[in-house]
Amino acid sequence: MSELRDEIHAVARRYPARRSAVIPALRLAQERYGWLPPEAFREVAAALDLTPAYCKSVASFYDMFHLEPVGAHTVEICTNVSCALVGAQRTLEAFERELGIRAGETTRDGAVSLRTIECAGGCGWGPVVAVDHRYREPVRPEDVPAIVGELRRTTGGA
Amino acid sequence: MSAPPEQVTITIDDRSVSVPKGTGLVESALQAGIEIPVFCYEPRLGPPLGACRMCLVEIEGLPKLQAACTLSAQDGMVVRTSATSAQAADGQEGVLEFILLNHPLDCPDCDKGGECPLQDLTLRYGPGTSRMVVQKRTFDKPIPISPLIALDRERCILCYRCTRFSEQVAEDGQLVALNRGASSIIATFEDEPYRAHFSGNVIDLCPVGALTSTVYRFRARPWEIQNVPTVCAMCPVGCNVWATTREGKVARVLARNHPEVDGGWLCDKGRFAHDHLRAADRLTEPIRRIRMRGLVAVPWEEALDAADEGLRAAGASVCVAFSGGETVEQADALSRLVRQGLGADVALLPDDPDPALDAFRAPLAAIRSANVCLVVGDEPVLERAPIVDLWLRAARRGGAEVVTVGPAGAIAAPPGSAAAICAALAASSPPEELRELARDLREADRVALVWSGDDDTGGRHLAGLAAALELGEGSGAYFLPRTPNGRGVAQAWRAAGDGRGIDPSGDEALGALIVSGDEALRDTRVVALADRARFVLTTAMFMNEAAGQSHVILPGTGYLERDGTVVNLEGRSQRLRRTVEPPGWDELAFFAQLARRFGVDVDPWTRAGVDELAALPARSGTAPVVAAPAARGPQRAAGAGGDFELVRYRALFSGAAVERVPQLAFQRPAAEVELPGGDASRLHIATGERVVLRSGEVSRELAARVNRRLAPGVARVAEEHADGLADSVRIEKA
Amino acid sequence: MAPRHVVFELAESADVTRLSDYERAGGYESLRKALAMEPAQVIEELLASGLRGRGGAGFPMGRKASFLPKPDQTPKPIYLAVNADESEPGTFKDREIMLRVPHQVIEGILISSYAIQARAAFVYIRGEYLTEYEVLRTALEEALDRGLVGANILGSGYSVTIVLHRGAGAYICGEETGLLESLEGKRGQPRTKPPFPAIAGLYAAPTLINNVETLATVPRILALGGENYAKLGVENSSGTRVFSLSGNVARPGNYELELGMSLRDLIVGIGGGVPGGRQLKAVIPGGSSTPVLTADELDTRLDFDSMARAGTMLGSGAVIVIDDRCCMVQLALRVAQFYRHESCGKCTPCREGTRWMVEIIRRIEQGAAGQGELDLLLNVCDRILGRCLCPLGDAAAMPVASYVAKFRSEFQRHIDEGGCPFRGTSSLEGVLAPVDEHHARARARIEVPA
Ligand SMILES: Cc1cc2nc3c(=O)[nH]c(=O)nc-3n(C[C@H](O)[C@H](O)[C@H](O)COP(=O)(O)O)c2cc1C
Ligand code: SF4
Ligand code: FES
Repeated sequence: MSELRDEIHAVARRYPARRSAVIPALRLAQERYGWLPPEAFREVAAALDLTPAYCKSVASFYDMFHLEPVGAHTVEICTNVSCALVGAQRTLEAFERELGIRAGETTRDGAVSLRTIECAGGCGWGPVVAVDHRYREPVRPEDVPAIVGELRRTTGGA
Repeated sequence: MSAPPEQVTITIDDRSVSVPKGTGLVESALQAGIEIPVFCYEPRLGPPLGACRMCLVEIEGLPKLQAACTLSAQDGMVVRTSATSAQAADGQEGVLEFILLNHPLDCPDCDKGGECPLQDLTLRYGPGTSRMVVQKRTFDKPIPISPLIALDRERCILCYRCTRFSEQVAEDGQLVALNRGASSIIATFEDEPYRAHFSGNVIDLCPVGALTSTVYRFRARPWEIQNVPTVCAMCPVGCNVWATTREGKVARVLARNHPEVDGGWLCDKGRFAHDHLRAADRLTEPIRRIRMRGLVAVPWEEALDAADEGLRAAGASVCVAFSGGETVEQADALSRLVRQGLGADVALLPDDPDPALDAFRAPLAAIRSANVCLVVGDEPVLERAPIVDLWLRAARRGGAEVVTVGPAGAIAAPPGSAAAICAALAASSPPEELRELARDLREADRVALVWSGDDDTGGRHLAGLAAALELGEGSGAYFLPRTPNGRGVAQAWRAAGDGRGIDPSGDEALGALIVSGDEALRDTRVVALADRARFVLTTAMFMNEAAGQSHVILPGTGYLERDGTVVNLEGRSQRLRRTVEPPGWDELAFFAQLARRFGVDVDPWTRAGVDELAALPARSGTAPVVAAPAARGPQRAAGAGGDFELVRYRALFSGAAVERVPQLAFQRPAAEVELPGGDASRLHIATGERVVLRSGEVSRELAARVNRRLAPGVARVAEEHADGLADSVRIEKA
Repeated sequence: MAPRHVVFELAESADVTRLSDYERAGGYESLRKALAMEPAQVIEELLASGLRGRGGAGFPMGRKASFLPKPDQTPKPIYLAVNADESEPGTFKDREIMLRVPHQVIEGILISSYAIQARAAFVYIRGEYLTEYEVLRTALEEALDRGLVGANILGSGYSVTIVLHRGAGAYICGEETGLLESLEGKRGQPRTKPPFPAIAGLYAAPTLINNVETLATVPRILALGGENYAKLGVENSSGTRVFSLSGNVARPGNYELELGMSLRDLIVGIGGGVPGGRQLKAVIPGGSSTPVLTADELDTRLDFDSMARAGTMLGSGAVIVIDDRCCMVQLALRVAQFYRHESCGKCTPCREGTRWMVEIIRRIEQGAAGQGELDLLLNVCDRILGRCLCPLGDAAAMPVASYVAKFRSEFQRHIDEGGCPFRGTSSLEGVLAPVDEHHARARARIEVPA
């Protein structure tokens, strides 16, 4: 696990103060664990000479950090005004049907987590859906089965 | 000294007030006799946060209401509070309404009820009626965030006082806010206990009943209590405290801000250890060892007779062992009994600081404004004199260079080398690794020097350095004694006059040994002396400690039961006030009576105290034989293989009082050994792993903790976990 | 009138994402020009251009830059912080700027850094913008290789580093002091001002904070000359802006226009109007935090002063078009939910007020509110407005208050009829907002195999 420490130290060197590396460090840890378990906070804290409590306090402020386990894939649907005006809710419902879960949940096999997000900055091309953090713009209900199929295929062995 | 600050005049609610430029608006208003209500504002926590918005005021020329706590007085400013501005009044009512949106109306069974700022301000500024149609946030009712502190999240108004204390004052980084917006909560990491030396301060800081003391909870209502001003005598800082009493019992201890000594903070030992007064094994009657019957409770007069008899038989072959927690008056009575009455001249003093340092005295608060602070010695400042650690942190936050030189210092030095370091820094050409520090010390306007080690001669070494640096106004040098009043006790002993010396270092029989207090009784040297003594007279609060070899045991008192004077590490005499009655005669009364039987007139009352004490003669030129713990000479760490030099420290959360407060158990030092990063990785030892420490026949198994600040070849263990180990140990994985 | 492009001018006829292409189109010439000038002269050009910040507040950039102490007036290093957090609902222009003219963004950063003699520039880019970050990173690497960034840029003796810093999902980090806190590795909670960032910003050092579009405009200003740039647009609103057009409009997207055109020009002329034979009902003119305009106000001009006269703001240039299917109470609810979700939790009126707003609007929407609650809602907005630590509270209160002011009867009907008059047909019917989803999630924990 010492590589994470080294990676964090490398990032920290970019900043005048080491603490600035907290968010990048948490992102590195999340990439490693898939989410941020207590252990991740301990490691990040040790690498940056902070406390785990501090690191969790920071992480919990930001929507992109997962304090609970998430699926192998994430599907995030913007339901802010512009996207909602052009049918984000119907796209969301299509995903719920196709995946058999509600927003905020993860499929039983741990393959996909579905959630709503606030404005993603793609309002002119809504409804915006971020699949594994890559935007798909726009995604209409009829596009959903193909996306879900794609996700299911790539989690085969996972 | 710089020129006095410029005065500015501002108008608040039509009253004009003149204050130094830069004075905060809240303080300026107070000078005009006007209260601007606040929740989050607390200058001791750092720069104003401006978060709660309770202090909204109208300022002429500005369109919006302003948070008064974030502004300072500017000449000609016209300020209107809710008293004269409808807008400000609406602002305050609005903020209170928002706060109460979530706050449960459970004042009648809230521990804070009656002394709650939110309750008070709601009465004064709050909305008359409730327009709330919202569901209040609900949480599990009080959850323990440690065995000492309960958190009721429903009552929390998110003023961030507690988290700011944790982050910006104590810098322990343990109590934090989680989540965002209306979902924010105060929490520790994974609900682990808030384990830090100063955790209890968050209870004082919380303006509502969200953080309460598990020790005090439901013990008393504000109208049934009395707050007695006294001084904490648990360590050599001497923080000023309020002892809250109810029905003759101490219910809690609160900080009573002395801006030069404690800045209003209190460590958890001072705050929570008071319950040792009620320990189950507390002695309340004199006890005498009677042949064939063992230890038997006896009337006071009989104990006095027995003590008289035992001492008389000993002649001048008497030694007295002090705890260092006695008041000056107690120490004085006992010293005069021994030196003038019995003609004996041997004492075991737990501390005997060198008075050379008195030339460089300064209030502790001076540390905060120093440019360079130097800490030498093997003992962690935090464990020895916790508040000093806070002053040093404040100095660092204020931009000072704070350098520790020692086994766990930024500049690594072997254990026992503090004297050598002082000498090296004072020399005209210091060694390479100290050169920069020496230059900074010389060039700084204001310097703070701290000696945190077990060597009584430290004061002299530090004074030598202070003199070489030509420390002047604004600088200070501080020796941290081991015990709360070790300095005052030594002074009292010295002042009691000379008798005829005997040699305590031999092994011939001793006529009598007087053991003053529980801490002295735990000293291994005292135990050894008792073996040689024909008669042992002991004062002690607790049976466990006292039993052993004593012939007569007098029930001792706690500092909250004493009137008297203590001298803190600054050399400041402070007055202890009796807050509750002791179970019987106190030590002063007993020794005064005993002294009278030996022809020495000792006042059984605490005298004028402070004044008289100041007149105590400086220590005399004669050198009575005093046994002090031997200082350790500098040694080179072996380092090779698994050999380490062992540094032990006395943990703050140790001792007879702490051991008797179950809620403090989690604060006691973990059974672990700290190892330097390099050595640990060489030996493939990680934090949490079990290791065995061996010296000669003795071995101890402890958990390892990697401490990257520790000098190579040094291992550190709290005294209570180092029993029997020598200064050099071999460490390997268990 | 053909739209005049400034920000996107170089990208009009060619792909300029690669350094060589950008240089071929004239890129980095402005940097050379700037490095040959005195820093103060560069600031003069900016002042002359009249360029106002494109992030939302519209503060003149040259003035802000001139507030910073000069290097010999401060013992601290000087920093530039680039606001690429773009999170105001409706706004997606900075994203396109970073994708299409990444080198122009970097060039703008370099010129501005030089003007204030910054030692380092930090680009705070919202965490969700992964592709945009990658594009910017590639561009930065190219620039580094070419000696355009780093030590002794183009032999000028001036050195500056650029650090790309990704956020992690918090709207409030677009607020300048929240951004600084976040960049320092803290929770992104805004700071009280004073001290202003120009005096004590990042690491308590003097810091200039500007939006991506503002900075991307800077190289073009140097190319055109400040005075020439000032001739574009209208009085007090010089130059062009990239407007983000979204919602119920035929041709949504980013459009760069000279300031001073009317909303009608943009929505109907360029955007093709409301599709599907629907009626225009309302327009949010500058991002979801700005007060709404009605269909009757379509001739309002897109410049700072005209917007102010109409009681609203140009904000981030995000124009959201709303047709007649939309229930304004549901709009209010969704907007309030957003601000509640994004409130940082530091100050009381914003944290509690946004929560209360959501509760009241929900009751109105469900038809459960009493007669007094509409006024209660307005009063709650009033008690938030101007009383918070940062403008986020206002950003929630202003638009909602404007919906009530302009569509009061629609709100009233919900109360009188005990429910939504749209009877389930509103375009915003049943939209799930993250705040509500999070509550549901807290109740239903999920288990994932390790
Ligand atoms: C709540 C809030 C969110 C903001 N979000 C952004 C943002 O995402 N991007 C941005 O450039 N400015 C944002 N701003 C404005 C910034 O505070 C700041 O004014 C701007 O970055 C200054 O740059 P400019 O002068 O170039 O516009 C926001 C302001 C507030 C109050
Ligand atoms: S627990 Fe008390 S001190 Fe801490 S934020 Fe809440 S109200 Fe403030
Ligand atoms: S509203 Fe969906 S991306 Fe903006």
